[in-house]
Amino acid sequence: MWYSIFKFEIQYRIKRPDTYVFFLFLFLFSIVGVDFIFQGSEMGLMKKKSPIVIAKTMGAITGFFMILASMIMGVSVLRDFEYHIESLMFTTPISKKDYLLGRFLGSFTVLLFAFTGILFGMILGEFMPWHHPEDLLAFNAMVYVKTFIMITLPTLFFGASLFFVTGALSRNLVVVYTQGIIVFVIFMLTKAITNEFWQAILDPFSLTTTTFATKSWSAIEKSTQELPFIGALLYNKLFWFTLGIIAMMYGYKKFNFNVIKEKRAKRKKQQVLASTASRTVHEVEIPTTQKHFGFLSKLIQLREFSWFYFISICKQASFWGIVICGMIIILINSVNLGTVYGVDSYPATYFIVEELKETSIYFFIIILVFYSGELVWKERSAKLDLIYDATPMSGFMKVTGKYIGLNVVYVVLMLALIGSGILFQTVSGYYNYEFQVYLSGFFLEILPFLALYTCIAFFIQSIVNHKFLGIMLMIVFFIANTALGLFGYNHDLYFFGGSALGAYSDMNGYGHYLKPYLIIKSYWFLFGMLLLIMGSLVNVRGTETNLWKRIKTSKYRVSKPLLKLTAMVCLLFITIGSFIFYNTNVLNTYWTNSEATDFRVAYEKELKPFEYISQPKIVDVNLLVELYPKTRDYTVAGYYILKNTTTEDIKSIHIQKLIEENVTLDTVSFESGFTTDTKYEKFDYSIFNLNTPLKPGDAIKMHFKQSFTTKGFESGNSNVNINYNGTFFKNTDLPTIGYNSNYELNDLNGREAYGLPIRLNKAAQDNIKELKNARSGSDSDGINFEMIIGTSADQTALIPGNLLKEWTENNRNYFHYKMEIPMINFYAIVSAEYEIKKDSWMPSGDAFATPVDLEIYYHKAHNYNIDRMITSMKASLTYFSTHFSPYQYEQLRIMEFPRYAQFAQSFPATIPFSEAIGFVLDIDDEQDVDMAFYVTAHEIAHQWFGMQVEAANVQGKNFILETLSQYAAMMVLKQEYSEEKLLQFLELQKETYKEGQDREALKEPSLALVENQDYVYYAKGAISMYQFQKAIGEEQVNKALQRFLEDWNTTNGNLKMATDRYATTQDLLGYFREVTPAYQQHIITDLFEAVGELKIDAANE
Amino acid sequence: MELKIDKLSKTYSNGIKALQNISLEIPNGMFGLLGPNGAGKSTLMRTIATLQEADSGSVFLGDIDVLKQKNELRQVLGYLPQQFGLYPKISAEVLLNHFAVLKGIATKSERKELVKALLHKTNLYDVRKQNLKGFSGGMKQRFGIAQALLNNPKLLIVDEPTAGLDPVERNRFYNVLSELGEHTVVILSTHIVDYVKELCTNMAIINQGQVCLKGQPLEILEGLKDKVYKKTVEKAELSAYKENYQVISERLFLGKPTIHIVSDKNPGDGFSLINAELEDVYFSQIFNTTNPKSN
Repeated sequence: MWYSIFKFEIQYRIKRPDTYVFFLFLFLFSIVGVDFIFQGSEMGLMKKKSPIVIAKTMGAITGFFMILASMIMGVSVLRDFEYHIESLMFTTPISKKDYLLGRFLGSFTVLLFAFTGILFGMILGEFMPWHHPEDLLAFNAMVYVKTFIMITLPTLFFGASLFFVTGALSRNLVVVYTQGIIVFVIFMLTKAITNEFWQAILDPFSLTTTTFATKSWSAIEKSTQELPFIGALLYNKLFWFTLGIIAMMYGYKKFNFNVIKEKRAKRKKQQVLASTASRTVHEVEIPTTQKHFGFLSKLIQLREFSWFYFISICKQASFWGIVICGMIIILINSVNLGTVYGVDSYPATYFIVEELKETSIYFFIIILVFYSGELVWKERSAKLDLIYDATPMSGFMKVTGKYIGLNVVYVVLMLALIGSGILFQTVSGYYNYEFQVYLSGFFLEILPFLALYTCIAFFIQSIVNHKFLGIMLMIVFFIANTALGLFGYNHDLYFFGGSALGAYSDMNGYGHYLKPYLIIKSYWFLFGMLLLIMGSLVNVRGTETNLWKRIKTSKYRVSKPLLKLTAMVCLLFITIGSFIFYNTNVLNTYWTNSEATDFRVAYEKELKPFEYISQPKIVDVNLLVELYPKTRDYTVAGYYILKNTTTEDIKSIHIQKLIEENVTLDTVSFESGFTTDTKYEKFDYSIFNLNTPLKPGDAIKMHFKQSFTTKGFESGNSNVNINYNGTFFKNTDLPTIGYNSNYELNDLNGREAYGLPIRLNKAAQDNIKELKNARSGSDSDGINFEMIIGTSADQTALIPGNLLKEWTENNRNYFHYKMEIPMINFYAIVSAEYEIKKDSWMPSGDAFATPVDLEIYYHKAHNYNIDRMITSMKASLTYFSTHFSPYQYEQLRIMEFPRYAQFAQSFPATIPFSEAIGFVLDIDDEQDVDMAFYVTAHEIAHQWFGMQVEAANVQGKNFILETLSQYAAMMVLKQEYSEEKLLQFLELQKETYKEGQDREALKEPSLALVENQDYVYYAKGAISMYQFQKAIGEEQVNKALQRFLEDWNTTNGNLKMATDRYATTQDLLGYFREVTPAYQQHIITDLFEAVGELKIDAANE
Repeated sequence: MELKIDKLSKTYSNGIKALQNISLEIPNGMFGLLGPNGAGKSTLMRTIATLQEADSGSVFLGDIDVLKQKNELRQVLGYLPQQFGLYPKISAEVLLNHFAVLKGIATKSERKELVKALLHKTNLYDVRKQNLKGFSGGMKQRFGIAQALLNNPKLLIVDEPTAGLDPVERNRFYNVLSELGEHTVVILSTHIVDYVKELCTNMAIINQGQVCLKGQPLEILEGLKDKVYKKTVEKAELSAYKENYQVISERLFLGKPTIHIVSDKNPGDGFSLINAELEDVYFSQIFNTTNPKSN
């Protein structure tokens, strides 16, 4: 008997277009599945079709589109109730078992069919032309089939059982839809489980499970090995399979073969209704009323509609399910906020808001996609459409009312989320709620996004006149628009909705992003209104469903006021559009990705020959900088002194201006007379031919004036360095000398496509030219530095050097800085409104020494860790000056800058420090490593490794700069805290190192030959140096470093003075060998010259 | 005001000619529209109610061109479709208020009074706070008429409103309808012929998309006066009678077929003259249009 039900189900579904739409949708999506799921993540050596990648992709797509499973499974029993044939069905002599089994198996078969779209799509995806053949392995269809059976099938079974049962029991379509969300919530909840094993077992999509199961694998294994269907993966699948069975059993038990779902209580009510109705009422006077169809009454209508539709969604239990899920998920997820190096930050409002936005967007999209469908179809679902359609209500008003109603629903969810955010802050003992950050985060960033997409959803639903198809098209639109952006077609004029609002910074708020953001959003909102108007005109009204006929008769629907509105909206849309175009494409230039790539390629092809031509070096910098933070402008005027340090005459000087539109090099002049060659002007590269060549050893003054002028706004995110509050830019923004290899195209595949040779991140250690450079394209071997800098009255401007004078003029602050000793040509210009913490440090063991001024310039609210930083400054200066060499400057400044970048960086005597790290860390000395202390120590160490000694710009450079700084900071941490804290820190480094290895796309280098692999020079470096000092003793290591500094100090090193090259790791390892006893010499090879494998477990030492 | 339908035609895309050259003039008062299932009644009513396009012809309510000035018509239109549902989770009062908004009654206090009065009128006042989910068929239908009356319509269209109602409910419903003033054009479609006689001042019978008869019920009855005969026959003889006479209806009476025929003169043969009922008119018209040749 069940078989005939099964057959009926199949036959029914075969005729339904939905079945094929689902299949096609999954199929098409899966073709780009791997690329989509792994978009932006470093895949390292993992191949695009390694079993683990396939498994993760399949798991993710299955999870993503669980909602389709709910659509297929949920409606199978529900359908009988929807079409009111349950009475016919349930009075036939079929047993409950046969009925449910037949229906379940039938729909499950269809579900499987639809989801094989993933299988076939992914297989086909492998043959897509955009894949790089090297990323793929030999094709093997079995891998896909196996993975499908192992990963997708059990998940589907669980989902199918759950959805089938809830559909049958609830008999409510929207409840069925929300199933997908609940499973997703479960998935999110598992992410909060700290025990990896349980997390792996409980993850419904087995994403973490595959990671866990292959944890111990090397990158090569991961890219080729088949997934082990044992252990965690097996348990995971068994667990969810069993849950599916349990759901089925429960459903079978509870499912009632009665037609009437209501209990007795309902029936009683009905009797009451009937009895009261039998009274007769005599003459009732129906009052005459005014009917209004004017503008005001339209507004009243609109208000009433919006409220009506809003309430109608609020009455749905599923909506509150979503709200509660959203709130719960936040409370669990925000446990780890703004984590830097394993330490959480204070639950500052913007962290909470970002976390809330990130996790809740899925919920919002679900609401958007499904409830817009529900609302557009509301009357028709209730069969009330003919009554509605015959009323004199304007179609546009109805659509707008629904539209506003749905937006109010978003607002409710947002308020709920804000509530849970505040609750979380309160529970964490943080009471600085910053409501304006909450409000702007949601109502400025998320709401416009949702409002715009809701226009699209309403439009699509109005046009296609098929709810499911509309929902699918909406999802397709989401994906397509995202893809458009990913491919670099993201101009705000045609990328739907425009770009997102830039990050919120405590220091700079939304800065200069806000205005263009609002303008662009208004532009799109007008577009959205046009869509709503068009939608309302072709929306089904009456019985005509044919789209073409609806379009033809829409002209009778246009009322005069609507026509006026449309004309007005059109006009405004075009006006704002033109205004945006004027800003982005006339005042500024818009570059697509491919244009940018072409430019880089041309730059390299035309200018590469100039890379190593003889050019003078900058030896003196003397500038007047005027910053205008309010208008985001600056001017720099003054001179460089250029010296010919080569052995031949220099006839022409090549000057590279920063390639950025806002920046202009207004004048450049050389004392002795010159002519300008503008052949390479398009690259902002000018050649100045000197009238009299510059003889070896001679110097020449180069005067110049550069301006940064903000003109209107750009498409997408603009310059983040010049800000209203928190300007931070480096001397690399000023004119540089000669070819700049940083402008070269870096992307490996791109270079191949354009026929460019492979680009090394760092030259080999025998590259004579780069041995003489401390930085890429270095134009200086050290400078004398003097600068006067002016900024607005409320800001303090900071650069390296002693502050000679400080004054106010024209309501502006001026500072005159001068560095008394030579420094490297590397400085940052920083200006913001600051609180200042001052202290001083006295070098020990030197009676004549002058105290060093310690200063921290920080944002008012960020005073949490200032004392830790001061402690670190003192401890570090003491340790380094005692064990390495004296500190060279008379001051040390730390300056906070906005969180658009998340790093701290050392310049001579100055350390710009991002507000995102350190300043807002909530450090618990019991549990955490004091990372504010550590990062400060690391940066101070750079005053030695980077400022005192520079490394040649070849492989291993970052060992000298970064690894040694890690070592130095670790020793201070150990001294100030404890060995245990240091070991805790190293544990984290081990994880970082492992993750880095997994992401590595090429070959991992040894420390001695490290290029730009930060997981090697930071993480492995720290571990290796720890082991090294453990083996030969801290004092020995310090002695080696002391000698190294003595010999290779840039300005007075014994060896450095005798050569024109910089130090390499070969030199450094020499000093290490010197202090290492013969029997331990092999350690140096193991630690620094071998690749991969950590030989000794740091924690076990 | 008068509703004037002129040569209205509509052919569906599947070839069915739902309306063929329909012309009707409907004055104020109740107008009964009779016709079998599929005759085109609903199509006609939906077209008048601005819910469907016609291929050709015109419909005017006074000066309003119904097919073009849809919104103007809707302002004076009350419409109760043949089938409709209600939002289950809201109360009669709220939904009626919502419809009042839809119909342009913008003042809140007026709306409140109006909703209250209509709920009283349709005898739903006591259950106004109840969710519509619990409404019986009759209550639902009364709610339907309440919403149709919200805007004090000049044209009220009710499409088979009493299908599925028990006799008590049906009476109550027609009572509400009959109370409407003389200033409204009310078009009522139904199968139940007797009600037309009781309620309607004018009527039309349509079949296969055509008007086969229009006029006042009493006049129409005059036309069949002394022409309808009745006889109870055996089942076996039925087909023979059908060949020989213009049998307009047959029904069972105590298990035996009773046939009505139309004849200008007394056919004898055991037939007895009866007073023509409106139903006989109806059946004879349907018979004529369905079997035009045998006439």
